Order: sequence, then structure tokens, then C-alpha cells
Amino acid sequence: MNLQNLKDYRFYCLSIALLAMLALFIKPQIIKSQPVYNFTFIVDITRSMNARDYQLKEKSVTRLQFVKQALNELVLKLPCQSKVGLGIFTERNSTLLFEPIEVCSSYTEIDSVIDSIDWRMAWAADSRISKGIASTITQLQGSGSHIVFLTDGQEAPPVNPRYKTDFSDVKGKVKGLLVGVGGLQNVPIPKYNHQGQQKGFYKQDDVPHRSTFGMAPTSSVPVEGYNARNAPFGSAKVSGDQHLTRLYEPYLEQLSKEIDWSYHRLESSELLNTALQAAVFAKKQSVLTDFRPYFAVFTLMLLGLVYFPRLNK
Amino acid sequence: MNLTVDYPWVLFALVLSFLPLFNNGVSHSRYPSIDIIPADTFSIFFSALIKVIAMAAITCLVLALAGLNRGKQSQERIGYGAHIVLLLDRSKSMDYTYAGKAPDGSEESKASAAKRLLIDFINKRQHDRIGVAGYSTSPLFFMPLTENKQAALAAVSATDLPALAYTNISKGLTMGLSFFQQQSSQTGSRIILMVSDGAAVVDPESEATIRRWAKQLNIRLYWIFMRSENSPGLYEKPEDPRDDNAGAMPERYLHLFFTSLGIPYKAYQAENPDAVQQAINDINKLENMPLHYVEKIPKQDLSTQCYLLATFFISLLLAFKLAEARP
Repeated sequence: MNLQNLKDYRFYCLSIALLAMLALFIKPQIIKSQPVYNFTFIVDITRSMNARDYQLKEKSVTRLQFVKQALNELVLKLPCQSKVGLGIFTERNSTLLFEPIEVCSSYTEIDSVIDSIDWRMAWAADSRISKGIASTITQLQGSGSHIVFLTDGQEAPPVNPRYKTDFSDVKGKVKGLLVGVGGLQNVPIPKYNHQGQQKGFYKQDDVPHRSTFGMAPTSSVPVEGYNARNAPFGSAKVSGDQHLTRLYEPYLEQLSKEIDWSYHRLESSELLNTALQAAVFAKKQSVLTDFRPYFAVFTLMLLGLVYFPRLNK
Repeated sequence: MNLTVDYPWVLFALVLSFLPLFNNGVSHSRYPSIDIIPADTFSIFFSALIKVIAMAAITCLVLALAGLNRGKQSQERIGYGAHIVLLLDRSKSMDYTYAGKAPDGSEESKASAAKRLLIDFINKRQHDRIGVAGYSTSPLFFMPLTENKQAALAAVSATDLPALAYTNISKGLTMGLSFFQQQSSQTGSRIILMVSDGAAVVDPESEATIRRWAKQLNIRLYWIFMRSENSPGLYEKPEDPRDDNAGAMPERYLHLFFTSLGIPYKAYQAENPDAVQQAINDINKLENMPLHYVEKIPKQDLSTQCYLLATFFISLLLAFKLAEARP
């Protein structure tokens, strides 16, 4: 050993490199905090979701197909450790297909369940969206998952303004996002037969255009043909555009206010992703990250310094 | 051995490992003429050795940074297991207890009893691929056949939330069978484990499909019938022969239909959760046929080994540095 060598800069570089490598083994991981998410997506599968008013690769697709495509892409974008659950809505309530599971380890499974969602899974035919949202919140409160409810907002049959859903019990219980699906122009709803083949579209006479359920709305002006027992809603023939469908955006915006949620119109999975990966839904979770590369890069730089070719001979 | 890296672009840094070729890192000292120094094989050897070690150290670091690993491997093994589709009844009546009442805390509902026992069952079946489907008025696809136990458990756990509507058993069965339709080759037994508390008439159209598929796909069918109090059993014959039809006694007729399918079939009539447990245990024992399955070996990270090697090389280099001779 020659003490002269201690004066060589290369000695210092190599010593620090060795120390860095030792430090690498002493502290290989550090704790980083990273936002993770927990969502339960509830997809409306009522008939109006079969209307074609979206474009995918220059082909017109149904609202449901577009929603499925958007969800498939979205799941890929969520950071690992996030959890995703899936459910479907029809009639007055929703049912979960699976509880939230971690996205990265179960991506294939989530993907294929999303693909299998079909309007034919509906167990009943009504579309009582406000009731459905209320019952979904009741079902999922306490699960720790945020609800993302995707619907076009068309209540069928139309709601009697006397019997609006009372959200006071569920307001603020679960945070969520109401996602409006569809275009703002009226489009026809395809009609399918027993075998699932399309048989034209719903016509004006096929659907009720106003609510005739329960007591008629009170008003000081008696409606035409009013009869307390036989025609409480009046006898006039009411026709409307309920056989067509569009995104009922003002209605959904108003609903989202009533339950303290935010509203988002579905246009692309990117925009939905930004709406979802928001601070409101994020939960900071500390994850162990590999810290060794930092030491290794530092060591590499030192070695480069030691062995860098001499420029002046 | 099949080595892969996670970040191939990092491998560009391997260029760095050529640096020692141009500079062995030994300090230079001025000398009037190097021609008079005789060639020394020992020195040449050491000079080369230092270069090789330095190159090795840099290479190890770069490989570690690139995330060197022994890639995902799969190995075919023979074990005990099966492909199981759990077909669950999601009709309203599953929300009630065996006594046909709403659960009041002392007795659990049929749905939550089934859920609890099935979760247990899934946890026991290590090598199975499990899929989950359900039915009410319409069939519901919950989870495809998968080795991912967490996913199967998440689907089964979701089934005790409020139930839906009616019992459309034929649609459900068709959905259950379709899980196997997508499978190209058969290894191990294919099982449909149906859990329901009632039955319904099978419509002729579905009947033909079910008969054909069940045979074609080599299905083994188990039916755990959660019989509520006062409901007709599978083996009961009505007193009045006029009642002996599928509409009046759907359970009996569904059982007869299953028996006539010509596939291995077993029914368990369970009048309480313990009986369900017994049935599940029984199936657990029966379905331990040898099965070819592919075990996936997760990738093995080799970066620690690389870092260790690099550390070793660097300490050697430091030792050489200290041993350098000076005039």
C-alpha cells in the first residue's frame, strides 16, 4: 500500500462508489406516498342505452358500447393499488357484478367482465334513475368505494313530479360522479325481439309519455276531462318524445346537486380519467418504492469519472 | 433460463462499459522515456484485469438498472383441481332465511350462508380455475374462469347484496355452460356448481341447447338445492297425480331433467347451512381428479445479484487502487 495513492482523486471516487453501494444495501426502499383510487362503476343497461349516438373509429356505436370501451381504457390508466368494482343498473336498483379488486393484478378479469355487460342482463324493464342512485348509495355506503354512475338520464316511464326521490337520507354519504352518456339530439331507440334481433325502433305509441302512477299532480286549474276515479290525470291524449332518447343533461346536473356529487359528460376516456383522478377521490397511500437505482446511477457516474478517457496525453 | 429486462432502453448505457478500455484508471507518472522500460507480462496482465473488472462492474450496474430478471415462466404440472363455474341464484327468495323470513340477526339469509360457504370453498381450492355466474330473471356474468382467487372471491362477495327478481334457471344454465364454450381444449374436469333455493320450468328452446351443450362439453353438474321450509323437495311425489307436472313441482321436474341429461350429476338437498357445508365438502372431495395445469412462475428479479457483484468488483478496484506503485 502506498499512501501516495490516497491523494489520487480516483481513490476518492472509488471509495465513495463503494460507500454508495453499501448504502444501497442498507436502504434499498423508501416510502413514497402515491394517490390511489377506489371506484365502483355502475352502468345503466336500460333500453335507451342501445341508442346509437357515439362514434368509435368512424363507426356509430351504441352508448353502451362506448361506455364499455371507455371503461376498458380507463382501468388501464388507474395507478396500481387502485381498486375497481363493477355493477349494472336497471329498474330501481343496481346489482354488483364484483366488489372492488386491485386493477393491476386483475386487469384481464375486469376487462372481460366489462366486455360481457349486455342490455339483456336487465332483470326488469323500468328505468328509475333517481331511485337507482339512491338505492346504490344505500347499498354501497360504508364500502369505502366511490360511485361512478353512468347513465343517459332518461327516466322511463316519466316521473310523476309528486313522487320525486328524497335524497335527504343519502346526501353526502358517499362521494361519487354522475356521468352523462349520450348526445343532446333526440335519436330513436332500437327495439329487439325475443331472440335479440333488432326489429325497428320504438314508436310513439309504444311508450307512455307521462306518468299516470299514483295521485295526479295537484293544480288549481282542473285538467281537461278530469274525473277523480276514472281519469285523475285527465282524458287528453298526451304524446311526447319519450320514444326517442337524448342525454337529459339538465336533469342529471340537478340530480348531482341534490346528492352533492359532481357531473361529467362522457366524451372520451381521457376526459373521464381526468375527472376521476381528481383530489376528491384520491386516497394517499404510502407505497414502498425501489430506491436502489438512485445509488446505482450515482455509482455509475463516479465510475465514469474514474475511467473517462484521458484527453490530453 | 430466459433472461429479460424491464427497461430495454437502459441497455444503451452499456456503452459506458467500454470506457475502461481506453483508460485503466491507474495514475500516470512522468518518465523520461518509456522505451527503456522492459515489457512486463505481469503488469500487462494486471492492466487487462483491472479493465475487465471495471467493465464488469459497470455492466452489472447497468443490467441492474435495466431490471434484469428471469422472465415469467410457466411449467406444466399435474395436480388436483378442476374448472368450476359457480352458478348462483340471485332471486328475491335468497334474501330470506330457510324459514322463509327476513333475516333478523339470529339466522342468516340463504344468500349470505351460500356466500360464506362458497368463499370458504374457493379458499380451499388452490389449483382450480373458478368462474362465477348468476341468474335472476336474466343471466348475469360475474367473473370469467380464472386462476385469480381474489377476483373470484370479489364476485362471490358481491352476491349477498339485495337480490333481484325471479328465477330463470334455464337462462342461467345456458350462461354457465357458455363459460366452457369459449375454452378450446379440455384439461381437468368441468364442473357447474349450481346453488339455488328454487327451480323453474325449463323452456323447450333452452332445454335443447342445455342438452346438447352439457353432453358436448363434458360437464359435471352439482346442484345444491337450499330447501326452505314447506317448499316441495326434489324427491317428493305429489299426492294428487294432477299436480305432477313441471308447473306445479318445478324442483322435482328440474331434478328429473338433470338426471336425464346423461352427464354425471348429483343433487344435494340442503335444509340448513350445515347441510350446504356437507355438500360442499363432499364436492371438494369428489372433485380432486388429477388435472394438468400450467403453473405460472412469476419473474425472478436478479437486480440484487447484480448489485452484489458490482459491489464486489468495486471493492476489488479500490484494493488495486491502494496497491498502485508510485515512483
